[in-house]
This record gives sequence, C-alpha cells and structure tokens, in this order.
Amino acid sequence: MSMFTRKMRMLTAVVLEKDRDNVVKALLEKGVMEFVHIDSLPSEKMHKLSAHSSEVPKAVISDMRVRVETLMKEGGIRIPDLDKKDMDDLKPLDIDSYRRALDRLTLSLQSVRDNQKTINQNINAISEIIRYAEEKSNDYLDLRVGINTHGKGEDLLGRLKMVGGIFMFSEKPYISLTLRRDSQRVTDAMDKFGWTETTDQDEQRSALGRAVSEGKRLIASLTEDLQKLSDEAAEKIRASASELSFMWITLRIHELCEHVESFFSYTKNTTLFSGWVPETDSENVGEIIYSVTGGKCIIEWTEADEMPRDEVPVEMTSPKIFKPFERMVQNYSTPEYGSINPTPFTAIAYLCMFALMFADLGQGFILLLVGIIGSAMYKKNPMKKDGIISRYLCNLLLYLGPASMVGGLLFGSCFGFSIFPALWFNFDAVVEGEEVGGLIQDIYDILGITIKFGIVIIFLGLLLNWINLIRKRRFSELVFDKNGLVGGVLYALGIWFAWGFVRSGYKTFPSSWFMAPVLITALVLIFLKEPVEFIIAKKKGEKTGGIGHLAMSTIMEFLVEVLEIFSSFLSNTLSFMRVAGLGIAHASLMSAFYDMADMPGNIIAKILIMILGNVLVIVLEGLSAGIQSLRLNYYEFFTKYFTGHGIAFRPVGLKSRTVSD
Amino acid sequence: MGRVSDYSFINAKLRARIGIMHDPKLVDEMIKAPTLTEAVAKLDGTRHQRLSEVYRSTGDLQQVELCLFEDEIANYREVMGYLPSVPSSFVSTLLEKVEIENIKNAIRLWYSANIMHHSISYRSAYIYKKLIVHHIDYDAIINAGTYPELINAFHDTPYSKVLASFTLDGLASGGLFPLEIALDHEWFRRLETAIGTLGSKDRKIASSIYSVDVDLKNILMLTRYSYSYHLDPQQLASVVIPMGYIAKEAEKRKAAESEDPIAVIKEIVAFRYPQILEEINLIRRTSDDLTTVEENNREIVRIEEYLGERRKKEYNRILTGNPFTIGVVLSYFFICASEDSVIRAILSGKYYRWSEDKIRERLGL
Repeated sequence: MSMFTRKMRMLTAVVLEKDRDNVVKALLEKGVMEFVHIDSLPSEKMHKLSAHSSEVPKAVISDMRVRVETLMKEGGIRIPDLDKKDMDDLKPLDIDSYRRALDRLTLSLQSVRDNQKTINQNINAISEIIRYAEEKSNDYLDLRVGINTHGKGEDLLGRLKMVGGIFMFSEKPYISLTLRRDSQRVTDAMDKFGWTETTDQDEQRSALGRAVSEGKRLIASLTEDLQKLSDEAAEKIRASASELSFMWITLRIHELCEHVESFFSYTKNTTLFSGWVPETDSENVGEIIYSVTGGKCIIEWTEADEMPRDEVPVEMTSPKIFKPFERMVQNYSTPEYGSINPTPFTAIAYLCMFALMFADLGQGFILLLVGIIGSAMYKKNPMKKDGIISRYLCNLLLYLGPASMVGGLLFGSCFGFSIFPALWFNFDAVVEGEEVGGLIQDIYDILGITIKFGIVIIFLGLLLNWINLIRKRRFSELVFDKNGLVGGVLYALGIWFAWGFVRSGYKTFPSSWFMAPVLITALVLIFLKEPVEFIIAKKKGEKTGGIGHLAMSTIMEFLVEVLEIFSSFLSNTLSFMRVAGLGIAHASLMSAFYDMADMPGNIIAKILIMILGNVLVIVLEGLSAGIQSLRLNYYEFFTKYFTGHGIAFRPVGLKSRTVSD
Repeated sequence: MGRVSDYSFINAKLRARIGIMHDPKLVDEMIKAPTLTEAVAKLDGTRHQRLSEVYRSTGDLQQVELCLFEDEIANYREVMGYLPSVPSSFVSTLLEKVEIENIKNAIRLWYSANIMHHSISYRSAYIYKKLIVHHIDYDAIINAGTYPELINAFHDTPYSKVLASFTLDGLASGGLFPLEIALDHEWFRRLETAIGTLGSKDRKIASSIYSVDVDLKNILMLTRYSYSYHLDPQQLASVVIPMGYIAKEAEKRKAAESEDPIAVIKEIVAFRYPQILEEINLIRRTSDDLTTVEENNREIVRIEEYLGERRKKEYNRILTGNPFTIGVVLSYFFICASEDSVIRAILSGKYYRWSEDKIRERLGL
C-alpha cells in the first residue's frame, strides 16, 4: 500500500501486425492497461496511420452479447467469469449461427408465451363469471340447465365453448353458465340442437353452485398449466445454458479484443498502441509484449511526470480492509494524480465519528450481526439483487458494528442500559445530568470533546493539503491559500483565542505578545497572494490583466479570503458539534424508551417496548449517524485537501464489467 | 413558509425519482431486442419490474398494459397523499383524465357487444374496475343491455349528464366519437375549474401549461378532423375544447357563426403560434408530390412533435425554477406519462413485429 495514488507510466509500443492478436490477448489476460487513442503524433505522420477496421463491428458484437445476457438472466443462468482458459479456447466469431440459435430459442419461448396468453384469457373469462356469481350479480349471468333433443352433446359443447363460459356436459341435464351479454349467441347455438330446459327445480337450484365449483376447478387447473408453462420457458433457457455460456464467453472476449483494438493505429506492417500502466506492473507488461512478439517490437515508456497531471489516470491502492471506504471516496470524486490517498484517513475518521454518535455495545453487535448475515446471504446467492440492505451496506456494517461496540465500551452503554462500568465516562449518565466523577461533568464537556475532535480532523486535512501541495510543487498556494500555511496559522490563532476565552469562563479575551504580529503577518500574506501570483504569471509569460485589474482583484480577493477563512473555519469546527448532538439524541431516545418501558408495570410489555425502542434507534439513529459521518467527511474534511480533479484508472481486462471508448 | 412546507417533501421525493427515470439505454435496448419476450425482460431491475413478472407469468401483453395502468393510478394516488387538500384535489382532477380513458375503453367494449354484436369474451378483464376517482360500476357498463342501464352505471358522477345527452340511436349511427369528445370536454371544463381553486403561483403554472396544451390539441384536432373525418365547419367547431387561447378567441370572434370558421381559427393560430403555421406552410410548399392525406399526416406529426418539444421545454423550465409549486408534480406526471407511453409503444411494436426503425419513427427518436 502506498500513502499516495499509484504511480503510472505510459507505454507506447510498436509491434508487427502478425503479432497483434497475441499481444491483445496477453494484455487482456494481464488486465492492467488503460488504453489511450494515439492522437498526439505530428499530422504528417498521423495520415500514414490507419484506424482499426473490424470484420464484425463492435456494436454488433455488443448487441449480441447483451441479447445472450438477457436470456441468461431470464433463465437464472449465472454470467460466467472469464479466465485464461477461455482465452486459450477462444473460437472465431460465428455471428450468424449465434443469431440462428438465439432466434430458435426465443421463437420457442414466444410460443410458450402465446400458450400462456391463451390460458390467461380463459382464466380471465371464467373468473369474470365466477365473480358475478359470488357477488350475486345474476343479472349478468345466463344459466341454462337442460338437454339437447337432437344432434350430439359434444358438438353443442364445441359450439358453446367458442362463446366462452362454464359448461358441464359430462352428465344430463347439461349445465351452461355464460354471460348474459352472450346470450344471443348461446341461444343460437342451442336452438340448432333443440335445447330444452329441465323442469326439475332441484337441478335448476343447484346448477349455479355446481357450475361455480366447476369453474373454480377449471381455474385451478388452468393456473397450474400457466405455472407449468412459465417453468417450461425458464427450463427451455436452462437447457441451452452451456450453449449460451459458450456464446457469451466468445462474444465477450471478442468484444474486449475489439475494444482494445479500437485504440490501435496501423501502418502497412505494424501496429502502434499506447496506454497507461501502473509503474509496478510496467516491467511485467513490457516482458509480456517482448515474449509474445519474440522481441520483434519497440517499447517506449513515458513517465507520468512528463505528462500534464490531469491526463494521468489515478488508481488508489488501499489495503483490502479499507475497501468499503474507498468506494465512499470514489463516490465523492477521484483524487488528483500523485496526491494523498484519502481512503485510510476517511476510514479512521468515519469510524471514530460513527462510534461517537452511535456508541452502544449491544446495538453495535446487532449491526455486526446484520452485516455478517447479510454478507453470508449475498455470498450464498450471488445472483440475488441488492435489497434495502445492499451488499455494500452489509460490508460497511462489518466495520460500523465493531466501531459502535467500542464506543459502547468507552461510554458504558449496552442497549441503552449502563450494565458495565464505562472505560472513559458514562455518556448516558452525563446526558441525564447525573453526578459522574472525572473530567466530563456535563453536556458542554461532551460538546467540547467533539469540537476538539473536529479541530484535529480539520488540522489533519490542512496537513494533508500541505503535503499534496509540496508534492505538486504549488508553493505559492502552499503559503498564501486559505487551506495553506497562512490559513493554518490563522486557524491556530483562532483556536488559541477561543480557548483562552473559554478558559476565562467566557469573561476575558486572551492577549499575548505574538498575537498582533502573527495576525498582521498572516493578513499581509493574504493581501500579497494576488500580486505574487501576478508576478509568477508574468514570469511564465501567461496572460495577465493590467495594474488596475490587479489592484481591484487584490482588494476583492483579500476581503473574500479573509471572510471565508474566518467564517468557514468557524462553521467547519462548530459543525462537529453534530457528533455530540447525535450522541446525545441517541442517549436521550434510549432513556425515553427506558422510561416508557417502566410505565405499563408489566415485564412482557417492558421487554417489548425496549425491543421496539432498540429497533427504532438502530434503524433511525444508525442511519442518521452514518449520513452525518459521511457529511462531515465530505464537507469538513475533504474540502481541506481533496481536489477531486483526477480521472479514474480503468484498465481493460477479462474481469472488466463494462467497456467504453 | 406555507408553500415550502406544502411542497418540500413531495419536491424532494419526486425529484429523486425523476433522477433515476427515463434511462435512454433502457429504451434503446428494448427497441433493439428482437422479440417481445426479450424486450419485456429488459424491464427487470427497473421501476417497471412488475411488468416483466406479469408477462413472465401470463404471456399476455394486455395484462401487462393493465398492470402499467394500475401503476399509473397508484402513482397519482401516492402523490395526492403527500399534498395538502387543494393541490391534492387538483391532482384528483388530473386523475379523472385517466378515469375517462378507462371509461372510454369500457364503453367501447359495451358498444362492441351491444351495437356491433361482437363477442367481447375475456376482454372485459383488461378494464380496470376498482375505484379511480368516482364510483363507477364498470361491470354495469360492460353488461348494460339498454342505454338507460349504461347511464345508470354513472349514477352520481359528473359523467352521467354527458351520457344522458346522447341516445342509443345517435351512438349507433354516429359512432362513439362524439361521446368521447364530450367526455374529454367535460374533463377540460372540470380542469379549468380545478385550476381556478389553486393558489396564485400554482394557478399561473397550471394555466400556462394547460392552455398551451389545449391550444395545440385543438390545432391537432382541427387538422385531423377536417381531413380525415371530413367534418363540416359547425361540427368542427363543436370538437374544439372549450379552454385555452384559441377556443376563447374563436368564441370572441364568433368563429362558429362565420361563413368559414376554419379560416378564422387559422388567423388566430397564425397570431398566437406563427411557428406552427410556418411549418405547416413549409410542408405544403415542399410536398408537391404529396397527397392531401399525406400532407395532413405530416402536419399532424409535426404538430405533435411541436407539442412534445414545447411540453418538454416547459417542464424542464419548471424543474429548474421555484421548487415549491405544483410545477414539480406536473413535471413528474409528464415524465411518467412519457416513459409509460414509450414502453407501451415499444411493447406494442414488438408484439406486431415492427422493425426497429419503424418503432423509432413512431417514437420520434
């Protein structure tokens, strides 16, 4: 692990055209190179190069791969992971035969769907009749009980089935239950067979109930058929699982090759390509190209320092333990190339904040349990879609749970009860105004702790910024900027000043010999920022405004900077009081539930209220603490040192999930 | 402060939803899917996942469309629940338009069974029969044997009066078109009243949206019906929705009583929407080889496109403006309706095995 973003080198290579495919496959297998288009050659040389032309356009391959993927998902087939063996066994693309196979499969699926549709329509038709019968809307129904006097019963049944309804023709008298709106068609059909209504009153009375029962039996049977067809559709896809997997692998590897080759340029006999590789892998990549081409290649390396910083892709190399926090950083932005990797600092700051806001041994344990169970479930079902508690949240809970437990131990809290002595001080007791020994006596002391914690975080942010600026050789910014040395000095002076005021019991402001000289020097330095930058720009030959413009911008910049330094540092520091606020809210809520649990005077009710209270607190307070910790990191910590101007390093390899030009 | 508390929650909620809606990749992949089964499968993992589940279990596209319709109603209901009484009641009026579409479908089935004497068998199942806004007995509509029975299904609803102004014989000879237009007009009248109940800012936004909407619909109808249905000027004037600038101006100028009402309306359109008239004239000038029907179709398509663009612009403007108004709600419904109609059109295109190009053309992509 490096404290800074990973060092990069740019490779530019020329290989023989005949070695191109092998080079592509070797680089894909290694998967550590982010390709770039060669467009910086002089134009007289550029026109000698030709772009990549493919037999099958990449869009066609991609569309076909997506099609296969859709069918695999439909059949619950796992998308395979590519490996070296797949690369070695790679077959040429046969788009037409894949298309034929997919068409065949989808055609058979469509025929299943059509059958499903017919059954569904039958279910709908019968359901309507049953519903009317059950709602006693007999006006909409047409019930007939009788026999045919000529022709065959089954022929009549065939005619009636075309109209739709429930028919019982297995024994006489026959029963026909249809909709009144179809009665004309029913009458027409029956008249042809000489239908005669039975005079048996018992038969007439029981007919509706019998027909409804028959209808329900029919629906149950049709629903079963529908389910069978639904299963059959999935089964049809699963039966083609190996064929689909093979197609997917072939299409995906060809798609990746096409993607890589789209960055290549060609002369008559050679292939030219370029891309970024992490410095630690560069030697290995060079060896691979040499080995694949039998040494018939030219490789040139360009160091990242020789390129504009904003063109170099950035990769953070955080230890595995910090991975969930790396995503938090990436959600914010990508750090600038060569700057400090914020992940470890974010992880520590986030966990400390969360532990302070959500300090409870028992509730922390619940969070840990949810994290463990959730992670295990997702591991067991890799195809399972993320729910409200996503994979990422489960991973994060594996850290937040223990952090909360440590907080609980420090403050002596377990499910809101003080059942063991606090290692530091009893948070709940302080919040409730009880007498506790030690340095922390009341809520103001708790607020004081979080402000001190905030000062440490803000100073850490400033320190990291200074290191970044030194590495980037931006010395003017280092000295004059509000997050530079001058800002740091003014912040330190402000803290000293406030500290003295608080120590005097909010009565007198502190004074010392160094206060005025330090303040004046800092203000002068801020005032000089614009003129110094003006001189530097002049020396570099950059375009600058006139003296009038300089005077105006110096005054404006000075006023804005001073105002911003005072207001932003003050608000950033006070913002950390939310840590205490959330912690106090957590303790107060638990205390409230504790009091409520005592009210019914019943042990079962007490347990239930405490369980409900804990669940509510875990969900609501856990969410609040998580969001507030994130907010403090993003707005109070990152703004001090994290410019987020970088572009993420996206190497292309067999494991790449998406590829884009 | 009132406006902020009225709209802050719904504004945040709907904006968050709008943020994840209308994924052009989803539409593109659905269009590219070679079969209906594959197109529906693309809805997995989206807010329309239920549609793919319904299709997988029934294979019935009409059942999927009913499901989409149910979701649309649920969407309106949910938003109504988050709004205070006045805007909530306005949204309820918007939901009445959905109800009217459902009524039209039910009446078409009744018409098919009773006037055309066609079997409607299972098709009744695709009519939404639960309460939308007013208590309407959809079963009674579909199964009505006589016209009074049909009217009775609308007892105690605003539609009863509309139905009562028609006769069975009139519908049998003139078709359902006049009845459907009358139902639409009734809704626009109710919409105008509902807009009047809104607070001043909301009223301004709703009026500006719907008056332009109605104007363009009127232009569209006049274009469509003067050619396709060959309605005479008086009949045409009765088709005009009694809302918006064009209708009001036509009434002021007594267009219906003039010798050539269409010419009067054209004048009004030229004054208010010169761009549309220019486009129509351009189509006519550059299409010497086109027949009148083709010209007419192109005009309709162009006006529809203009209407779509104008709506999109208006709603985008609302979304970037004051968040504490009914505008966000209207924009949200517009985006939902657009997305639903795109999905409906693609699925229907796939059902009829239309080519990718034809579907794109229909969607104006």
